[in-house]
Amino acid sequence: MHQTEAFAAGEEAEELRPSVESDKKEERILARRLRLAARKEAQTKQRLGEDDLGKEDVKEETRKSQKEVEHRERRMAKLKSDGLELVTNIQVAADARESDRRTELEEGHRLRREKLENEAKSSQEKFEEINRKWTDAKMKQTPLDLRDALSSQQQLCEQIIADKNKLISELQQELKASDDRYVKDLKRQAKDIDLLVERMEEQISTLKKSYREDLHQIENSLDEERRTLLTKHKKKWEHERKDRNEKELKNMMQSLSVMEEYADLLQKLRVQTAEEYNIDKIRMDTEVQKLRMKVQQTKFNCHMNEEKLDYKYEVLKKKEEENAIIKSQLKRKIIRMQDVLNNLKSKLTKQEKQSKAGNQSLSNDYTRISQQYKDMQKKARHFAALDAERLEKLWLMCEDEAKALTHRALETDRVIHEQQLGLEWASPPLPFMERSGAVQQKTFRTATQAAADTLKGEPEGGLDEDTAAGLNKRTVKSILELLCDEMGFLVESKLLMLLSPLEKNEQSLIKLDAIFSAIGIESEKDVYKMAEFFMNYRQHESKYTKDETANGQGESAEELSNLIHTEDLLAALKDFTAQFCRQDVHASHKSSILGLDMRDDSEDAAYWESIANVMPESKLKLWDALDTALNKYHAVLTERTELLMETQNIQQQNSELRQLLHLYTTSKAQ
Amino acid sequence: MAASNFPEEQKVFSSMSRSQSSQRSGVMNSASDGQKRRSIIAEDHEWSLALVPLLTTLCLQHIIKHFEEKPILHELQPSFKTYVLQRLPASLPLTITANLISDESYWKRCCEARWGLADISTYDNSWKQMFFERHLQSIIELFIPDTTDTKTVLDVLPLCQNYVKQLRVSQLLPPIKEPSRFDEDDGSESASDMGSDGPSMDHFDFRMLLDKLPNLKELSVVYCVKGCGMNFEWNLFEFTFRDCESLAKALNSCKTLQVFRIHRSKVDDEKCCVIVNHLLDHPSLQELDFSHNHISDRGARAIAKLLNRSQLKTLIVCNNQIRGAGAQALAHALAKNNTLTSLNLRLNRIADEGGQALAQALIKNKTLVNLHLGGNNMTEPAAVALSQALVENCALKSLNLCNNRLGADGGKVLEEGMTHNCTLVECDIRLTDVDQDSEYSICQALHANQIKTKHNHDPSAKV
Repeated sequence: MHQTEAFAAGEEAEELRPSVESDKKEERILARRLRLAARKEAQTKQRLGEDDLGKEDVKEETRKSQKEVEHRERRMAKLKSDGLELVTNIQVAADARESDRRTELEEGHRLRREKLENEAKSSQEKFEEINRKWTDAKMKQTPLDLRDALSSQQQLCEQIIADKNKLISELQQELKASDDRYVKDLKRQAKDIDLLVERMEEQISTLKKSYREDLHQIENSLDEERRTLLTKHKKKWEHERKDRNEKELKNMMQSLSVMEEYADLLQKLRVQTAEEYNIDKIRMDTEVQKLRMKVQQTKFNCHMNEEKLDYKYEVLKKKEEENAIIKSQLKRKIIRMQDVLNNLKSKLTKQEKQSKAGNQSLSNDYTRISQQYKDMQKKARHFAALDAERLEKLWLMCEDEAKALTHRALETDRVIHEQQLGLEWASPPLPFMERSGAVQQKTFRTATQAAADTLKGEPEGGLDEDTAAGLNKRTVKSILELLCDEMGFLVESKLLMLLSPLEKNEQSLIKLDAIFSAIGIESEKDVYKMAEFFMNYRQHESKYTKDETANGQGESAEELSNLIHTEDLLAALKDFTAQFCRQDVHASHKSSILGLDMRDDSEDAAYWESIANVMPESKLKLWDALDTALNKYHAVLTERTELLMETQNIQQQNSELRQLLHLYTTSKAQ
Repeated sequence: MAASNFPEEQKVFSSMSRSQSSQRSGVMNSASDGQKRRSIIAEDHEWSLALVPLLTTLCLQHIIKHFEEKPILHELQPSFKTYVLQRLPASLPLTITANLISDESYWKRCCEARWGLADISTYDNSWKQMFFERHLQSIIELFIPDTTDTKTVLDVLPLCQNYVKQLRVSQLLPPIKEPSRFDEDDGSESASDMGSDGPSMDHFDFRMLLDKLPNLKELSVVYCVKGCGMNFEWNLFEFTFRDCESLAKALNSCKTLQVFRIHRSKVDDEKCCVIVNHLLDHPSLQELDFSHNHISDRGARAIAKLLNRSQLKTLIVCNNQIRGAGAQALAHALAKNNTLTSLNLRLNRIADEGGQALAQALIKNKTLVNLHLGGNNMTEPAAVALSQALVENCALKSLNLCNNRLGADGGKVLEEGMTHNCTLVECDIRLTDVDQDSEYSICQALHANQIKTKHNHDPSAKV
């Protein structure tokens, strides 16, 4: 019972369990685990069962089937061993025969050898006897005796031969016998083999039969056992079932009585609850009506809300549509923009590339040109220097020549005056005679020098003439100081740091220098120009102020605006730089770049003119008149010389003629 | 056939919805059209697409047909491979198939085509092994020295060297003599002939074979001629000294050999010594079988020397001529040995002295399980010694003493010895002149031992 129940339970469980052949991997793993667990459980159960229930069963089983099996096994083993013995008996018998034969053979060998030895011994004896007789025969003289002896010898020999032949025949017979035996043995062995085969087959068949029988028997016994077990279990089962039936009947009766009791109770309860139910129902009905009203109201509200929501929903939908349209438009726009952007980007990159290339080429050009420019400058400077030198030389040469000429002219003038006119000669003033070399350039004073001068205080004079605009030295100074104070941002901070230990004057001087360089003021002129500009500016401003601030203030306003307003200074400076400095800067830049101080040749002409005009006009006129008079005088003189010459000639002719006459006279006298 | 075709064609026409008014013309048309159609629609009703061989099968058949010129096998898919293997003819040359095909069914077909029914169990259940072993075996058995070209053997060797594990040579042919001379030197001069022609009587030389078989484990040799019939000559059964030397050297060169058998080959002491000397310290030899030869004491002494210089487990020297001295030598070796499990001295002549010596050795030995001393001419003293050994020894399980004249007293002594023994399971004392009573009691003791060992085995089996 126990086992069958357990088995049934196991089967049920197995149906529910995940199978090992399942598709899912997890399920398979789970199935294996469960199987292992079940096995372990079964083992433990078995052990427990062996302890209490199994013992009797096992004992019973051993009594029947197992015993049968063992018995059969033993029988089979015996059968097998018997069969084996039966089969091997033949081999053993053959072996025995073989060993017998061998022992016989050995014995025969021994006998034969003995026999042969005996025979050999006897024949040897006989042979010796014959030999002996040979000597006897030799002794014999008579032929008869000899013949007897010979015949006896022959007999003996024949005897030996006969013996030998006998032995040979015996041996041959033995050989034949052994041959026969061999054949017999062969036959027997063949028979044995046949027998062996027969027995083997027999054995096999019997074994087969017995095995089958055994199997049948064992099966039968097992069947019987099973049957008895079955009947036993069936009986048990029936008995149990009957018991159960009875119990169930009893239980049923009990339950029926209980049921009646409960029915009564139920009836009572029903009546009670029905009353309660009615009361409750009335109450509930009223409540339901109330609630229905409420429901109606809420339904109405709900409907209203629904409508509202629908309307809103419509509106929202439309808006959404619009939004979608706008969105799409915007998207398209974005796409277009994106395209444009991309184009622009590509253009930009292209442009950048181009500009880079251009820049590169231009910078190359620039470097090249600047190099060329520098070269040119160098050349120009060189040529300028050369030209200056040449000019100097030429100048000196020309001057010398001019001076020599003036000297000669003066000398001639003096001679003319002293000899021809008989007048007292006074030399005209000759300033250039002391000078030699090219006209020296008058250098401009730089802005800083001027500033320094102005700052130092009182001017040494001479400058008043320059500042024709009537700029007061003081005002300039104040302006400069103002500049120095206000325009500190133009000075580098480092410089300021360095300047801190210096004197105030020097400080401001260096500051001014920096400021001038920053603004682009270089020469003294510029400084004054600036000062003038400021003044104008101030006046300009003051005009305005004047307009604005009525007459009452008058001079006091002028006094105040003596100094330009610090706030206006920057603007003024800006205007100033815008107006003037730019060009100045350019100009100065140009000259400075060329590195040449342009010679001012305006005075050169005057200089040369002064040299040329050493002789005044009156003197030249005098000289002209003198020239003409002298020319006349010269003509007279030449006429006189001609006449003198003529007279001389005529005198000479006279003398000659006289001579000739004398001659003639002398010769004719002859 | 044409008649049977008509209804079909008519059907075709009706399906084409032509007018059926002029059936005759329709038939005419169908006849004229049928000429064309016949080439397309088969007349055979049983024709179906399923009967058309697949291209793959055609290809495979082509491969099978031209397997000899171009063997394609391992490139095929497994299913096609089996298809090809099932249909390959068994007559293909071995040079192609030997190393290419390992399929058993193919070799089974080869074996059956060549030898008919065969028992595969003696060939490790491998048909391929069986085929090559028997192939090589038949080549060696039909090899005639000086006449057959050694190439026939050497050509086969590379093909079968990987598959041959055991060689059972059941005959070795001697060289053929010139028949004319043979006739002249009939009978009387045969003795002198044998002397002069000795070298020419050499058989197949195993040296060229054994060192080329890397897997050889078993070698059985018989130097005789099978089925000579009426042409019987003694020198057909000659095992010359040179044969012996070459065989011994070959054995020495074959390091994988485990079993060596030489039966019925007239191995005498000298040859035995030569063979055994070459087998000394062999790394793998386990079984040595000199059955049915002419070995006597000297050979036995040599074998005894071998016993302790090898891993021999089985030694069979049945049906030889070993006597007491040889047995004593063997017993001396056995006393020190611890590898030998089976010793067979059936049908020798060791007699009592040998039996006593062996019995004394058994007292010391602890490994020998089977001992066969049947037909050895032993008597009572040997039985006494053996009974003592039975008392002391506890390893021996099977003892065969049949065909020895132990006598009734010997039987009693043995009975006494058996009562103290608990390991011996088999003891054959047939034809030993032992009393029935003592035989019965011995049987009882054996039976008790059998049950004991069974019980000893069963729990172990259960565990």
